[in-house]
Amino acid sequence: MIITADHVSKWYGQVIGLNDVTLQVSPGITGLLGPNGAGKSTFMKLITGQLKPSKGTIHVLGEPIWRNPALYHRLGFCPEQDSFYERMTGLEWVAVLVRLNGVGETRANEMASRALEMVDLTSAAGKKIGAYSKGMRQRIKMAQALAHEPELLILDEPLAGMDPIARRRTIRMIKEWGRAGRSVVVSSHILHEIESMTSNILLINQGRILAEGNVHQIRDLIDEHPHTVHVKADETRALARALLVEDHVISLKFETDALVVQTARPDAFYARLTAIAASGDLGPIHEVTSPDDNLQAVFKYLVK
Amino acid sequence: MVTTTAARTAFFPSALRIFDLSLGQMLWSRRSIFLALVAGAPVLLAGVIRFADVVEPAALPEINGARLGGPALFGLMIWGLYIRFIVPVLGMFYGTSLIADEVDDKTITYLFVRPIPRGSVIFGKYLAYVVCTALLILPSVVVVYFLVVPIGGGSVGAEFPALAADLALLALGIAAYGALFGWVGARVKRPLVIGLVFVFGWEPGVLLFPGYLKRATVAYYLQGLVPHAMPDDSAVSMLMQVFQEIPTATLSVGALAAITLGAIWLAARAVEQREYVLEQ
Repeated sequence: MIITADHVSKWYGQVIGLNDVTLQVSPGITGLLGPNGAGKSTFMKLITGQLKPSKGTIHVLGEPIWRNPALYHRLGFCPEQDSFYERMTGLEWVAVLVRLNGVGETRANEMASRALEMVDLTSAAGKKIGAYSKGMRQRIKMAQALAHEPELLILDEPLAGMDPIARRRTIRMIKEWGRAGRSVVVSSHILHEIESMTSNILLINQGRILAEGNVHQIRDLIDEHPHTVHVKADETRALARALLVEDHVISLKFETDALVVQTARPDAFYARLTAIAASGDLGPIHEVTSPDDNLQAVFKYLVK
Repeated sequence: MVTTTAARTAFFPSALRIFDLSLGQMLWSRRSIFLALVAGAPVLLAGVIRFADVVEPAALPEINGARLGGPALFGLMIWGLYIRFIVPVLGMFYGTSLIADEVDDKTITYLFVRPIPRGSVIFGKYLAYVVCTALLILPSVVVVYFLVVPIGGGSVGAEFPALAADLALLALGIAAYGALFGWVGARVKRPLVIGLVFVFGWEPGVLLFPGYLKRATVAYYLQGLVPHAMPDDSAVSMLMQVFQEIPTATLSVGALAAITLGAIWLAARAVEQREYVLEQ
């Protein structure tokens, strides 16, 4: 088992973040799915040793994680927050963090360069992070997590804000990582994202693990609920025209610099959007985000 | 006791890596502009005094009819400006922010998920603070020395040992205040408030009164190392003499070393044990 949690609870004063969670995560890729505020980030912080459980114990790769810094040689973490040393270039930032793993400067630069290549940021390696787009910032966070080739990669909402091409590339990279015999725990509030990486899913809501394992039934439930997607693009009107003919598109709405699409079949929608982005015919697509109310509705139904 | 399969993490090499990372950030931060302004103010003042001395020597202050000489003026500036104001203020602003800045910027996560002891993060940052502050403050003192000491016929060469002592004294002050406020910053949520109360309330307050309370200040021990003889023939200074209790140099150095080492150890311990919950 790569992660073992035994009756773990976490309180923030009077607020409960995680409630008596007992689980075992097997090697491979595992998705942690739940709406915002469900306890995903708390769980991620507990399994990365940033927080100490109020009750219970957590073991990662067979060892307790709290106050065990040596274990970080074996795991990499990509946090959710969009925070960086903005004045550093991407290469400098990743190299500086890799050096904290006890690696010399030359080797750290090599490892950082390779990690940037993996997330397709080589061309922006010398650019300051402050000038990166949202998608590039997500990818540079991934690069720092995987540069030291950890056994276990923990990714908190890694696809948030990525454009369709970067999203597809990142999903492919995570799957390759899993195929190479490494383990990944990835969180998201979008089932479609998680499902494109793994069928092994942990469902979390209100600080509790609701279900774990293969969740095709959940997927069917999700499909019954319209899925809303915000697409930031230059040519939103042309994009709307192209999407309007798709039978899975329920509604379209224009917002400032964005198109809000409701779809009945997220799979089909994301496949079409990626194809449009890859062709480049309708101009660049900058950012794709999905609010958590898609999943929230399903969870409401589930916990009834 | 935690058993690990990976190599144990060493404290000092980790701290040196954090030092390396933090020094550049500190030197080129907005706070350093403030630091440069604070360190530049005495130089500007010294330049004005020197200019006044050249243009109108009679404009310089007198005490009981005797004109203040360059060495005494320099001593006054070291005590009044550097030791009592600049060093504590910089110690407070930098020390309290050693960890707080990373927490506020939410970048602390990247440091805490690396195979380094958490305590080494604050220790490395503290070392960077000491070097950064010393690099800006000590040259400013040297410039002030060369501008002020020759006034009234003071000898730059003869006063040089006093300058060396002043530089060492200021370095001790930078180290002690930084460590103390580093601990406060690692321990509490609003460290600046405590820092302001300590620097502008507690220290000047208790130093005025006789008794043991003054031993709970950093300034008291720094006072014991000041090499300059202060003017002591005014009514106020004669009154102060009654209450004045200056510690020996050995006691001062020992106490400052203990404050520095103790505070930095407590700071490292606080960072090791504390959970930093970042606002989403």
